Amino acid sequence: MKKKWLFLLAGTLVALSILAGCATPINAQRVEFTPYGKGAAVQQVRMLHTVDVMLDSRYRRQIQQNSLWRLRGVVPQGSVYSAENAVFTIEGRQVHEAYLVLSGTALVGFYLPGEFNFSPLSVPLSLTFESEQHD
Amino acid sequence: MIKRLFLISGITLAAVLMTGCATGPKYAEVAQSIPTLKAEQGRIYFLRSSSIVGAAVQPEIRLNNDVVGKSQPGGFFYVDRPAGQYIAATSTETEKTLSFSLDVGEVKYVRTSPSFGLLVGRMVPTLESAEVAQKELPGLSYTGAQSAGK
Repeated sequence: MKKKWLFLLAGTLVALSILAGCATPINAQRVEFTPYGKGAAVQQVRMLHTVDVMLDSRYRRQIQQNSLWRLRGVVPQGSVYSAENAVFTIEGRQVHEAYLVLSGTALVGFYLPGEFNFSPLSVPLSLTFESEQHD
Repeated sequence: MIKRLFLISGITLAAVLMTGCATGPKYAEVAQSIPTLKAEQGRIYFLRSSSIVGAAVQPEIRLNNDVVGKSQPGGFFYVDRPAGQYIAATSTETEKTLSFSLDVGEVKYVRTSPSFGLLVGRMVPTLESAEVAQKELPGLSYTGAQSAGK
């Protein structure tokens, strides 16, 4: 009888949690951002494939094929690229504008420009892209 | 009994609709009077589609803790701010926030959308692309506190 009540209580709590959308907050840490030189040539990367990114918060994001990303600066973890003519956010309990942080060809996490934070991916993701440069 | 249920449903629906949509001038009527951006500033548009889902949930929108307007179905407004870091927030049973940066001369679009909550709905702010927002703005009503011409 006691067990039944415990199961009922646990089930109710799980259901309430789902209803309440108890997403976990994203993991982020303060980081030093060095902006790319003003007036320097525009450096971009174009994604050659669509890539699904599963965030640690369990939210999913997609980096679209042919999307353009512009070099904005560097953080200790890698080079920082923002979406060109598009918006990109990551989501946990809250929503955060996010730039890609690339180390070589690996997506290692996200720079959150509204907070000066870096949010790492627990498993870096290999991306295929080509670089472009415009004056 | 069924008759009574229909009556209650009808009254509830009417109440939702009455409290629901924004009633200001349409975007086309105010677009001409929206001023050009001042130097060193960027612009943030807040918009919400006119869906009746969650229409009764109309929380205030705060930008870096200052109340700048209300999330109303079918409504939009904008604020001009210096370049910098911003947090847009709405509070119902819980606070939902969006962090983003604003550059000089940049225009950002923040959409608020209802989502399910435990007791009442939540209003989730998120960034919208310029392409999608600009298509939607003509169908929305201006709900800014100040006149668009200011």
